[in-house]
This record gives sequence, C-alpha cells and structure tokens, in this order.
Amino acid sequence: MPEHSRRNVLKSGGAAAAAVMAPLPDGPRPVTAPHQVRQAAQPKAVTDLTLEVNGERHRLEGVEARVTLLDALRERAGLTGAKKGCDRGECGACTVLADGRRIKACLTLAVMQDGRSITTVEGLARGERLHPVQEAFIRRDAFQCGICTPGQIMSAVACIEEGHTGSEDEIREWMSGNLCRCSCYPNIVDAVADAAKAVR
Amino acid sequence: MNTDVVGRPLSRVESRLKVTGAAEYTADVRVPRLLHGFMAMSTIARGRITRIDTRAAEAAGGVVAVYTHETMPRLKQPTYRPFFKPFIPIQSPEIHHAGQPVAFVVAQTLEQAQRAAELVEVEYEETGRPLGELAMGVPFLAPSGPDGPNTFERGDVAEGMARADVRVEAEFTIPMHHHNPIEPHATTAVWKGSKVTVYETTQALGNTQHVVSEALDVPLDDVRVISRYLGGGFGSKGPVWAHTVLACAAARAVGRPVKLVLSRAHMFTSNGHRAETHQRIGIGATRDGRITALDHVSTQQVTRGDVALFNSSEPIRMLYDIPHLSNVQRTVRLDLPTQSFIRSPEACSSHAQEAALDELAHALKLDPVELRKRNWSSRNMADGEEWGSNYLRECYDRAAAKFGWSRRDPRPGSMRDGGELVGWGMATSAHTAGGRPGSGARMTFDVRGRARIQVGTHDLGTGTYTIMTQIAGEVLGIPVEDVLFELGDSAFPLSYASGASTTAPGVGTAVNRVCSAARKAVIEMAVSQPGSPLRGVPAERVDTGDGHLFDTADRRTRVSYRSVIGHGGKPLHFEVEPVDTPLGYSTGAVFVEVRVDPLLGRIRVTRVVGCYDPGTVLNRKTARSQVLGGIIWGIGFTLFEHTLVDPATARIVNPNLSGYLIPVNADVPDIQVQFIDRPDPASDALGARGFGETPMTGVTAAIANAVFHATGKRVRDLPLTQDKLL
Ligand code: FES
Ligand code: FES
Repeated sequence: MPEHSRRNVLKSGGAAAAAVMAPLPDGPRPVTAPHQVRQAAQPKAVTDLTLEVNGERHRLEGVEARVTLLDALRERAGLTGAKKGCDRGECGACTVLADGRRIKACLTLAVMQDGRSITTVEGLARGERLHPVQEAFIRRDAFQCGICTPGQIMSAVACIEEGHTGSEDEIREWMSGNLCRCSCYPNIVDAVADAAKAVR
Repeated sequence: MNTDVVGRPLSRVESRLKVTGAAEYTADVRVPRLLHGFMAMSTIARGRITRIDTRAAEAAGGVVAVYTHETMPRLKQPTYRPFFKPFIPIQSPEIHHAGQPVAFVVAQTLEQAQRAAELVEVEYEETGRPLGELAMGVPFLAPSGPDGPNTFERGDVAEGMARADVRVEAEFTIPMHHHNPIEPHATTAVWKGSKVTVYETTQALGNTQHVVSEALDVPLDDVRVISRYLGGGFGSKGPVWAHTVLACAAARAVGRPVKLVLSRAHMFTSNGHRAETHQRIGIGATRDGRITALDHVSTQQVTRGDVALFNSSEPIRMLYDIPHLSNVQRTVRLDLPTQSFIRSPEACSSHAQEAALDELAHALKLDPVELRKRNWSSRNMADGEEWGSNYLRECYDRAAAKFGWSRRDPRPGSMRDGGELVGWGMATSAHTAGGRPGSGARMTFDVRGRARIQVGTHDLGTGTYTIMTQIAGEVLGIPVEDVLFELGDSAFPLSYASGASTTAPGVGTAVNRVCSAARKAVIEMAVSQPGSPLRGVPAERVDTGDGHLFDTADRRTRVSYRSVIGHGGKPLHFEVEPVDTPLGYSTGAVFVEVRVDPLLGRIRVTRVVGCYDPGTVLNRKTARSQVLGGIIWGIGFTLFEHTLVDPATARIVNPNLSGYLIPVNADVPDIQVQFIDRPDPASDALGARGFGETPMTGVTAAIANAVFHATGKRVRDLPLTQDKLL
C-alpha cells in the first residue's frame, strides 16, 4: 500500500486544485448559478476503498482522498458513533481502534486505512451484552452529555489493553488525550479501573 | 408516596444509548437528500466588504450555491430577546468583528463545502483601528438591561467605610472565556413546503422556534425544533445564534435539507463568550469581622451595537449581610463578537468578592471561615426576603471537618511537603437558581399503568431525563421502569430555556403537578369503580406505591394502577400549564489544597472538598457529577482558560483546543462531595432547587486563596499561570 499521510495527500490535492484554479476566467460579477460555471476545481484523487468496520465489510465508492476516516464513517458508512469535536486531533471524541490500536479518526484519511480493521463504539457490545468498559461507564456515571463518551470508551478499551491502568495516576495520564468538557474525569478514572479488573 | 425513588443514585435512563453510540445527536441525524453547509468568515474586525468574488467557489466540485450579502435571501432581525446578536450576518457588507460569516456555501459533501468556503475571495476596507481589549475602550454606564439595573445601592458606602477598622481594596481581571462544549453547534434544516423542521443543538427549543419564525417570516406553528440529545452547552446553546437562521435560509433557498456544523474555530466567534472583566472591590470591616461596607465596580466588554451584560453581580448584592453597599456594572464597547452567558455567570463577581474576603480575613487575622459565618444572611440581601431555606453555615462546618481545616497554619508559606509549597484555601459557593418562567407538561397514562410524559425541555448532560423519570415515579408511586419521559421536541409543552439552574425546579414542578393530577384522578376512579377493592374508601385515605393504590388504614386493601385504568378501558390524558418558579439560592462551601513548585511556579490542585445545599437531592449520582463538573470548570477558569485577542487586529489567536486549554484528566485531583440534602419548602419540585451553576462558584477564589497561603503572593489576574508566580 502506498504510504499516504493526511498532510501529503492534502498538500498534493491542494496544489492540484490551485493549479487548475489559477487562471480564472474574467466573467461577470458573482451570481449564484453554479450550473453555468465551468467545473474547475474538482479534486482528482477519488478512490474506492474497503474498510472492515466492527467485523463488517464496508465498500465505499468514489471517496475523495481528502476525506478523513471520521467523515467516511459518519457521513458515508452511516456510523455516527464516533464524534467530531474539533477535527484536528485535540479532543479525542473521534477515537476508534485501527487494527486494535487507538487512533483519532479525524487525523487519518480514509484511504490510509484501506483494508484495515476498524472498531468503533457501535462494535463493542456482543448483542445485548455490553462490554465491561461500557458497563463500568454506566455504573460510575462516567459521562454527562455523552458526546465524548464513544471516544473515551474506545480509548479506555485500548488503555486497558496497553496495560496502562496500574494506578489512578497512570490512568489519568493515559486517558488525558480525551477531553470531557462536562468534566467527568474522576468517574472516568473509576470506570477504567473497574473495567480493567473485570477484563483481566 | 414511594419514598425511595427520588434521591436514589439511579444510573442515567439514557445510559445504554450513550455508551453504544446509538444516541442520536443533532449532527448524527440522517436525512435524505442532505446537503452540507459551511461558512467563510471575515478576516478583519471593523470595516466593510468592498468586493466579494465567488466564482472560484462556485466552480469548485460539488458546490450547489454560494451566498454572500449580495445574494443571501433577506432576513428580518429578530426582536425576540434570546437573539442577542444585534445583526444577522451575510445581509450587508458591514463587518463588526473578526470571524463574522461573510459567505455561506452549500455543497454535496462536507469536504466540498469546506474547500469552496476557502475559495471565496473577499476584499475589505477597514474603517478605523479595531478595539480588542478592555483597556482600549472608554467605560460607561449602560441603561438597565432585561436582567435588571446596572447599579445597586444599599445604605451609604462612605458612611460604612468610615465605620470600618480595617479596609482592603483590590483589582481583579478575568479574561475572555469560551464554552467549548465538545459537541459543535449544528443545525439541519428540512423544509416541507412552507414548514420547517430544525434539528438543532439547543438548550432552548422555544427560543429557536421563535427566532426562526421571526427571521424567516414563517408562522410559529410551522417551525418545529428537535433536539433529543445535546452534547453539552454550558450556555452557548441557550440563545439563538445567526448561523441557525442562515442554515434555515440556505435550505429554503436551495430547496433541499442543509446541515451546518460549526468548526471549532467558528465556535470562538459565533456563539457568545464570557466577556473579559475588570473588577475593583473595596471592603471595610470592624475588628471583630463584621463587614460594614462593600464597594464594587465591574467593567466588561460589549459590542458597538448592544449593551447586554452577563457577568452579573448577584453574589455582591445578595449573599452577605452587609449594611452599606454600592455596586456598578460598567461597559466598554469593543470590536468583538457579542458576549453571552456561560456556565456560572455569577462566577466572576463571586471570584472578586471571595478573593477579597480572603484578603480581609488575612488583614483581620481572622479565620476565613469564621469571617464568612459572621456575615452570613438567611435573607436575599438584594430584596430582604427570607430564603425558603439556607444551610450554608452547616456546609462550612461539614466541609471544613472533612478537609481537616482545623490543622491549617494560617501563616503564608508555612506548609511544605518535600520541595513543594502547600496551600489551603476556601470560599463560599453561591448561585441563584430558578426565578424564571416555568414549564408545561403533558402525560398519558396507558391501560397497562405506564406513564408517558412529554416536555419540550432539554438534557445537556444535566440528567433531566433521569431526574424527571424519578420525580414521576415518586409522585405516582410506580416503578421508574413504567415511566417514559420524553423531551427535545417543540411539539411538546415547552419549558423555559435550560440554563440558569432552572430545569430541575421548573420542569420538576411541572412533572410533579401533572403526575399529581393523574394520581388524584386515578384515586377518584379507584374509590368509585364498581368491583374495585377500594370502592367506598375515602379518597384522602388512599396512598400509592409500587404501581398500586392502597388504603392507608389497611394496606392489604389495594389495587394496581393497571387494573384501575384498564377497567376504565382507555388511556388517560393530563396536561398542565407553566407556572413561574420562585427564585432560589443554592449555596455551599469549598476547600482546596494546592501544591506549588517554588522554582517553576507550577500550581497543581491536589485536593478539593465541597459541601452543598441544593435542597432535596433528586439523584445523588447525577448531582455529584454536576458538582465534579463545576469544580473542574473552576480549575480551568483559575489556572488555564484564556481566549487571547490580538490587540492590533481584534482577532482571536487561539480558536482551538490546543491553544485554549481546558482541564484534562491529569489535571484533576481527588474531589470529595457532600450534600446537606434537606428540602427547600419554597420549592414545588419535591424540595429541589436549581443547582447546576453553584459548584463552579467559589472554587476559583478558593484556589487563588490557597495559592496565596502557599506562596504569600496574591495573583489577581487570571489565569494563574506559572509566569505570574516567578
Ligand atoms: S474530532 Fe478528532 S480529536 Fe477531536
Ligand atoms: S460527557 Fe459531555 S463532554 Fe464528556
């Protein structure tokens, strides 16, 4: 698979667009009648890709290179569990697992994940049975509004898997990439500690 | 009545949806034929657009329309008050602040809309140097606003100061803050003919409905607003902001549903903020710690087009028994976006007052807890009315005991642990609650004895779904599993906005009233129904519990709700109209430990103990979580949060979550929470008062007071960053 990063793909996409864009026809004053205007800035990099999400194959067709994994999941695969809080890697609301590792889905392009196995919050429960992390989040009231919760939970699953739950301080440190403006942090720490015990 | 439903630490009733990703937030709502909107924002703060070129944007792939002030349909400036902005953008070439929308793009995909917004070319003419900082403007006294007068006098301050043995005077500055809920503001507008359904991130369905109706000239009944799950608001989603109106207008113009989600950067100029505030406060007291006078002047930013002030002065006017007092709220006009309310609007004046009281206690050589107790009042000092209840003095005692306050050596710098300086500080938490219009409610009792209640209110994470389910279960005497509480739809009887700690008392009262009416009606049926075991029993002798009605004289004589209503053969319907909720005052005491690295000036909050009096605690779990949230917001307010404005351009330079620091998990210490949990007789919501805003107050000053205790330094300019201690 070619090595893409969000930065170099966006750069080349941007440059291509700018090159096509530069010689703008001198026309009349702007009017909103797009169908009469020449299509100039269509990014070229469009691809079909396959994501295995929560054990199901999702074939996404005609995805532009600039589409992030997060927007591919939310706007194209119909999986809105992962949330967008900042779209720049700051809040962690979009955290998902890619081949078992936690990543911020807004910081990676969908094409870069072609063929990978993605787990989102929708894929944690086994039928009616919740994952121990989900159960612990409910029991400990580790959320209020719940918008950061899908990311917190995915991060917690990975944090436990990584073995970063040795102490409360360690959990605090390794869960600090996920912001919670409702500020449920103490309850999140309790939930992760509980779940770590249950998972072992 | 069941006595074990209210107060129980029931897990949130919507928990499962929230941990599985199934809860549908506004930006998650799927609508056929949806288009995506995105806005281009002004890069200057003061001036006008001289030329706007949309050709490149319109030519970009997937673009359906690009609206500018030349092409956007005309909208009417709403007069409905919670539209705070004095203008609707993209209606004229005038620019009033940086980050003002100048173009609205609609495209097939989000990426296409975002890209096209970047391609809109705008030329501006600047009309003078923009003012971005409080110190740049000239303060003036604005006429009284809808929140009351900007001046307040009690007694004669000069005389009170003359009677004082000790006087302190201090100035405090608090920077601009942003709400930053993790969920961005989002609107999806779906028109069907001349009617519109607006999926909206809102703390006030009714506000959105009124403003959309007025701005787009649509009858009120033709606007339906839906907001079932809200990803936090903290005040930002209480007023209606221009982007909502613009999204509705764009959807109507293109003839297809449009979804607009603000970017994080947009959220720094589109939905209000806590205005930068300067405060001067003087306090005089006698040797024995009785405050004789308090003189307070605050100055905060407004725009050139409005004078709405939200850093309000209630703690100054209401809290302590101070005979001579003067309070003035001044304003300065700047070229910034409109300010608004943000979690705990009373936190600013509380901060100045509670920090100044610490200075006074130090000057008097009096324990800061004792100073506050000596000036405690059981009344609302602003109008002299007795509060329904006020157990603040007990809060001081219980929190102090839990914290171990009696072991404190009051001398600054006296407590150390290894290389670190340790400081202990405290303050009073206090915030008004309720005192706003109430809420309607309707209910259906089905033939199986299950209650379905609908209120056009909101759950911001505050626990509305859960506590209203509990109130209904408690009042009716049925298990919570048999209660379905629905909210978030303007087609339901509306509540007032969910803000200012009004939802628990307002909606709680409505749910209590509608359920009480239903219970009474079913009791009447049970005592008159042929064949009913309760037939002939006097209605006042009947009580309910566990899904049953029973004779209190002989509890074995009982019948289930299900059987009584089933016997009637049809569901029962009830509805109540709103009644205003009384103004309440929820208070508490908060104690904080900080540790300061003397070489680096690094401050860590290491321990917090708070005890609070919210009236009846409706749910110990969700109430405790609200306290944690408030305390952690207080940590952010005091140590990190700061929206930076470039004075040369009046542009916000850190409109993101890596430059605007909010607390993360590693910043948060051990927090212990206690409640008095005694009903307020003035509340019709089973003795509960509004409470959400209280816990953030006090903790800010308690941290600053603890830093003084640790270091001997008074830092009066927030945030309390390392450089200020070095
Ligand atoms: S949305 Fe990805 S980190 Fe914030
Ligand atoms: S629960 Fe609201 S942001 Fe975390």
